[in-house]
Amino acid sequence: MAASMMSWRLSVSLRCGQSASFQQLDIFARVLAQPHLTQLHITRGARRTCKAAPWLSKRTVDHKLNEEVLTTESKEFLKNVAIERFKERMANSPLKDAPAERHQWTPKSLRTGVLAIKLGVIPQWTKDGHRFTCTLLQVLDNHVVRYIPPEEFSKYPSFKKKWRKNIFGSLVVGALSTDPFKFSKGYNNLCAKVGLPPKRKLTRFLVTPDAAVEPGTPLKATHFKVGDYVDCQAKTIGHGFQGVVKRWGFKGGPASHGTTKWHRRTGNIGGGRNKAAVWKGRKMPGHMGMEWRTLKALKIWRINTKYNVLYVMGQNVPGPVHCYVRVMDSRTLFRRKERIQRPPHMPTFYPEDVDEPLPEEIFDEEMFKFTEPSITFTDKKDK
Amino acid sequence: MAALGNRVAALGRIRLLRSSVFIQCRYSNTLPEATVEKHRKSKLAQDPEESETESLVAPRDYKYVYPEFLPDPKPQYRDRIREKLEHEDMFRRRTVLKIPEFYVGSILAVLVSDPYAPGKKNRFVGICINRSGHGLRSQFTLRNVVDGQGMEITYELYNPTIQGIEVLKLEKRLDPHLFYLRDALPEYSTIPFDFEPVPHPPGATIPVNPVKVKLRPRPWHERWERQDLQGLQDLELPERFYERAREVAKPWEKYDLMKQYRESINDDDAAKIMGYVYKKIQELEKTKER
Repeated sequence: MAASMMSWRLSVSLRCGQSASFQQLDIFARVLAQPHLTQLHITRGARRTCKAAPWLSKRTVDHKLNEEVLTTESKEFLKNVAIERFKERMANSPLKDAPAERHQWTPKSLRTGVLAIKLGVIPQWTKDGHRFTCTLLQVLDNHVVRYIPPEEFSKYPSFKKKWRKNIFGSLVVGALSTDPFKFSKGYNNLCAKVGLPPKRKLTRFLVTPDAAVEPGTPLKATHFKVGDYVDCQAKTIGHGFQGVVKRWGFKGGPASHGTTKWHRRTGNIGGGRNKAAVWKGRKMPGHMGMEWRTLKALKIWRINTKYNVLYVMGQNVPGPVHCYVRVMDSRTLFRRKERIQRPPHMPTFYPEDVDEPLPEEIFDEEMFKFTEPSITFTDKKDK
Repeated sequence: MAALGNRVAALGRIRLLRSSVFIQCRYSNTLPEATVEKHRKSKLAQDPEESETESLVAPRDYKYVYPEFLPDPKPQYRDRIREKLEHEDMFRRRTVLKIPEFYVGSILAVLVSDPYAPGKKNRFVGICINRSGHGLRSQFTLRNVVDGQGMEITYELYNPTIQGIEVLKLEKRLDPHLFYLRDALPEYSTIPFDFEPVPHPPGATIPVNPVKVKLRPRPWHERWERQDLQGLQDLELPERFYERAREVAKPWEKYDLMKQYRESINDDDAAKIMGYVYKKIQELEKTKER
């Protein structure tokens, strides 16, 4: 506050044409030197930024020097030692202690999601012969890395203003265990605290405190039930800077009949008469794709428990094949009553809950299984 | 000179860097296939995937007998687990429905359950003019002329509404597709619905039908003279059509090894897939004998 007041005063004095006195400048400098008095607004470039947030610890380490020194044998030896050490740590994970308290699911509770990888699209059929396409999402080596309770999380710099305070905690989920040699000490320690090898990708889900999962817990495809509806969030394929025809589907101009330099142009962009301006939101050329997009309320038709694959309705889950997809319970008000009747696993699926191990393939009731005989139709009158 | 060389090298490096950045920009938040594969079998993973047992070596012609098991050659769509799960579904379907060996040019009869047909069934007989698609999407097209009207039906090979596929005459033609039958005289694609099946002894070589088709005069659906088709009689066109065809032709493409590599599954991959198919099909046959 003080800093902003000072800067305001300074700017006023400068604007009035007066030279800022030495005393004023000195105070300003002193205020700036005290970080708790200043409010830093961190901006990270454009909307589609590839840069990591500055408050995150640096991920990778440059090992070029070591590479020259170490022989291939010693490298392998070190790698094996690292793997063994991490396996020891796995034994010391917080899960060793008594399990955390578990709560009942309520319509207000928000569970964590998983970080899946998109595998591709295949056709499937329903029992009445209707064809539809499914996207396969593999939940590969997912673990809960950290849980931050709501009171603490609402003080974080990454906490967005639009979220209601003291309601949602943050749950960090990591996917794909990696070689700790490639990553920095700080990054490795994020996972090592909970007895895990470093994860290639981390993501954060908002959760309510009753749905908090203990760090170190593995998340599988069985986190969801068949018949659930999920939201899939991912980054779309980038197309770079594109014109108006590709980006917005404008018609462009004719190809011939004396047309010169008017084949793929946008035409008039301003209004007429009194408007005399280009209105906001006008569709224009620009960067296309590579943005976070969410596809909502997709049904899970089938789950493969061996490979941890979710068969999700639709062929338009954002992103290319092998992209990361955040899969979470649908927050739409879609099929709310069904959800209440059939609550999800809370906070996640534990194999200890079930007496018998789950079958390899779990199907939706309406779905055609390929081991069934061919579909035949009968007259309704016959029934 | 040396300084200039260094500068050129530096420029090259910048260009390389730029290209890598470009790839990242197009597919951000995405992993290359090799990395995903590495993580699936990584020792650090919670439960790494077991390495597969060695598959058998399939006979050479399996690539042509079961072409639908070869995946889409576009590298950006390929994934080992997706292909595997798809193949498992296909074999499950094959335990229920007998999908026979057939080629473009074979005469087939297909029985489909149809909610709108009388008796809720529909049988169609025709000559197979095309096979396309990969995996569960694979499909074939049958053509026939019924009451003077040409009819084509495209069936999905693994659609569960198909009740039976019967090969009435097993043979090949000279071309990879027979779309030109659309412009041919109707006698070439007229097949009676009570066509008697021609027996084919198992293990015998598949005969190639060397018939040359006579087309109706132009206009046609496509410029057939520009395609390298063997099963056509003389088209009886003026010389200018052939001249233009020669101008447009790309005779060098058959020497373009990279193009062939890009647009097809390479022999190593195909051998791996076909070995798996061979193993599965032998298992299928054993269960049927019991």
